[in-house]
Amino acid sequence: MKFYFPDSQDLVSPTYDFLHDEYSPLRVRQRDDLYAHEVLSRPPYDGILVSKAIVDGSVRGAGKYTAPQRARLHRLGVRKFFRLPRGVETLGDNGAFNYVEERIPPVTVRETLDFYQECGFDAGVSVDHVIFGYDPDATPETVDTEWAERRLLTLRLAAEFIEAVDAGNSTIQPVGAAQGWSPDSYADSVRQLQSMGYRRIALGGMVPLKTPDIIRCLEKIAEVRRPETQLHLLGITRIESMEEFARLGIASFDSTSAFRQSFMDDRRNYHSPETDYVAVRVPQVEGNSTLKRNILGGVVSQRDAIRTERECLRRLRRYDSGDCPLESVLDALSQYEAITKSEKTYLDAYRRTLEATPWKACSCALCREHGIEIIIFRGTERNKRRGFHNLSVLFKKMKKLTLCSTNGSRRG
Amino acid sequence: MADKYTLCLPALRIRQGKHYIYCFGVDGKRIHDFTTVSRVRREDDHLQGYQRPEVLSHINAIRRYLESDGAMLPNAVVLAFDERVKFKVSKTATLVDYTTVGELIIPIDEALPENDKPAWLVDGQQRSAAIRDAELAEFPIAAVGFIADGQDHQRSQFILVNNTKPLPKGLIHELLPDTAGHLPARYARRQLPTRIMARLNNEVTTQSDIDSPFRGLISTPTVPDGYIKDNSVLKMIENSLYEGALYQYRDPRDGSGDEEAMLLHLKIFWGLVKATFPEAWSLPPRKSRLSHGVGIQALGYVMDHLTDGIPARELPTLDLGKPLARLKSVCAWTSGVWEFGNGESRRWNGLQNTPSDVRLLSNHLLRSIR
Repeated sequence: MKFYFPDSQDLVSPTYDFLHDEYSPLRVRQRDDLYAHEVLSRPPYDGILVSKAIVDGSVRGAGKYTAPQRARLHRLGVRKFFRLPRGVETLGDNGAFNYVEERIPPVTVRETLDFYQECGFDAGVSVDHVIFGYDPDATPETVDTEWAERRLLTLRLAAEFIEAVDAGNSTIQPVGAAQGWSPDSYADSVRQLQSMGYRRIALGGMVPLKTPDIIRCLEKIAEVRRPETQLHLLGITRIESMEEFARLGIASFDSTSAFRQSFMDDRRNYHSPETDYVAVRVPQVEGNSTLKRNILGGVVSQRDAIRTERECLRRLRRYDSGDCPLESVLDALSQYEAITKSEKTYLDAYRRTLEATPWKACSCALCREHGIEIIIFRGTERNKRRGFHNLSVLFKKMKKLTLCSTNGSRRG
Repeated sequence: MADKYTLCLPALRIRQGKHYIYCFGVDGKRIHDFTTVSRVRREDDHLQGYQRPEVLSHINAIRRYLESDGAMLPNAVVLAFDERVKFKVSKTATLVDYTTVGELIIPIDEALPENDKPAWLVDGQQRSAAIRDAELAEFPIAAVGFIADGQDHQRSQFILVNNTKPLPKGLIHELLPDTAGHLPARYARRQLPTRIMARLNNEVTTQSDIDSPFRGLISTPTVPDGYIKDNSVLKMIENSLYEGALYQYRDPRDGSGDEEAMLLHLKIFWGLVKATFPEAWSLPPRKSRLSHGVGIQALGYVMDHLTDGIPARELPTLDLGKPLARLKSVCAWTSGVWEFGNGESRRWNGLQNTPSDVRLLSNHLLRSIR
C-alpha cells in the first residue's frame, strides 16, 4: 500500500528563529525552505500528488504558486522542483474539487496532458468531474441527470486522455478517474476504464462517504477488477480500514488529513503511535485577530498580553528541561486563555499532553530538534512541523500493518 | 523601592516662540514608569488618547538592533508633560539667551493608573517598547519634552511629528550597496541586488566592470543620464536571484552570494541581448520597449529559462546567440506591432510596465525560443 501526500506548497524554513519568532530577512520562499521529505530522516510518503488547480489556479482562486514558481516547476520538472529523493514517486491530477461547481471542467485533456508531460510526472490522472452525492439504490435511469452526465463525461474524457497518451508516445503512466454515486455505478466506471486499456484507476469523489459505503463500493468494484488493475483512493486515509481497503485491491491513496489535523483539528493535533494529543495553544499577540481587536479597542492591555504570552513560552520551555512544575505552566496558560478570551478552555487536555510528554518519546528528526516547541500551537512554522511529524507517524503505522498488497504490473 | 519618589534629570530648556521645549537624557528602561502610551479609545463617544497599538514586528526589528553590537539610537523620543512636571533653573547665565541649563523634576507614583501618569509619549512608542523588551540592563536615550495645554495640543503635535516623508527609494537603493552594519529586514534583503546593480552600472570606480552592457545606462540619483529605470533592473535581478538562474550562486544558509559569478552571468547574457538588438538597446523607454520595465523583466525570464542551473563559466558553450536571434522576427521593440497569437496584437508601445503585460510578453518570448 502506497501513501501519496498532496502538495499544497507546505514547507518549513530551516533558518526560522523560534526564540524571537522571526524569519531570516534573507530567506527565499520555497527555495531555501524544506519539504517534509527533506527535514525528516526518511520521506514520510511514497509519493507526492500535485494538482494542476493548485499550481495553475482554477475557478476557485489563483492556486498556491506564484508565477515565477510555476515557471520554475515547468522548467525544472517536478522531481527537481520538489528536490525529491530516489524512490518518491510523482502523480499529477486536476484537482477536480476546485471546479466542482462548474457545469463542465474548465480544463481540456490537452492542457492537462501538457502539464503532466512538461513537469515530467511518473503518472497522471485523467480529467474528471466530481459527483457530489451518494445514492446506493439509484440506477442510471432514476438518478439525478446531472450525476449521470458527470459520470459519462468523466468516462469520455478518460477515453480521450488515454488516446492522447498513446498517440503522443508519452512516458506518463495514465491513471483513469472513476466517478460514481453508488457501488454499481463505480463498478461500471472501473469496468469501462479497464476496457479502454487503463491498468491504474483512481476512485474520485469518495471523500464525503462513510467508511462502510466506501467498503461496499470497493466490494462491488472487486467483482469486475482485473488482477493487474491497481486502484488509488483519492483523498482518503481511514487508517483503521486500511487493511480492508488493501484486501479489496487498493494499492495507493492520498490524503492531507494527518498533516492538516495539526492545525485544523480542535483536539487531535499531535499524533503518536498509540493516541492523539491536543497541542498547546499559545497564539501570537500579533497574529490573533480577536486579541488584536480587543487591544485596539482598549479592552485588553497589550503589555499584559505580551507579558503573559512570553511567560507561557518561558514556562513551557523550562518545563521541558525539568525546571518548572506543571501547575505553574498551566497557571500561565490559564491566564493567557483569559486574556485571549478563548471561548473554551483546553486546560485539562493540556494537562494530559504535558504529563505524557509524547514528543520526548518520538524519534523523528523534528521532535528531536525542537522538543516541546513541536506541540505548541502557534504560527505556521511550528504547526507545519507538527504536521510533518504526524505524517511520519501515519507512515510508520501504515508500514506496520502487514498489508497483503496485490501486486499489479505497471503498464508501459 | 519606594513607590513614590522624584526623578531629577539634567536638562536644557530651549525657548521656541512662546513655548519651551526640554532636552534631556533618560534611561529608556524607565520611561514607562512615568509615561503613558495612550491609545485610541472611545469613552462616551469622545476620542481619548491617540496612539496606535504597538506594531510588534516593528518593535522586534528595533529590539534586535538594540541587542546587536554598537547599537545607537540618536533620534529623540518626544514626551508631552502635564503641569506636575517642573523645571528648576540651575545656571542662569548661558552663552545664548534661548537656552537655559537646569533639571526636570518628575514626580513618580507607581500606584497611579496608566492614565494618570505625568507624561505622555507623543513619538517613540515603538522605540521605547523595544528598549523595554530588550535584554539590556539600561539604555539611555535622548528625549525632548514639552508642557502641553491639554490633549488636543498633544494630538496636533502627534500628527506633526509623525507626518514625515519616507526617504525616496532611489536614494536608498544607491546608499545600500556601501552600507555596513545592521539593516532593517526589508533593506537587508535588497543589499545584494542593489550592489550587483551598482556594479552593472559601473558606479564603482573599478576597472572590473567596464565590460557591463548596462554601464552608465541605469538611472539613479547620481547617474541622472541613465535611461533604464533602476527599479526595472532591480526587479529582474531579484527575480532571478530568488526564482531563476542567479539562485545557484546563493548560499541558502546565510543568504550571501557569489557576486563575481552573478555579474559574469548577467554580463554574458545581457551583452548578447545588446548585440542582438543594438538599436533598441540604445534608445530610452519612450522610444524602445526593450529598455522599458516590461522588456527588461521579460528578458530576465528568458535568461532564467535559458540558463537556469548553468554556471556562468559554461554559458559561452550554450550558443545563446541562436535563441536570441530567433526573437528578432517576433519582437517589435521600437516600431510595428506585437503579434501574440490567438488574434491578440498590440502596437509596439502598447505594452506597459504592469504584471499582466510583463507576463504576456514573457510568455510570447518564451514560446518563440522553445
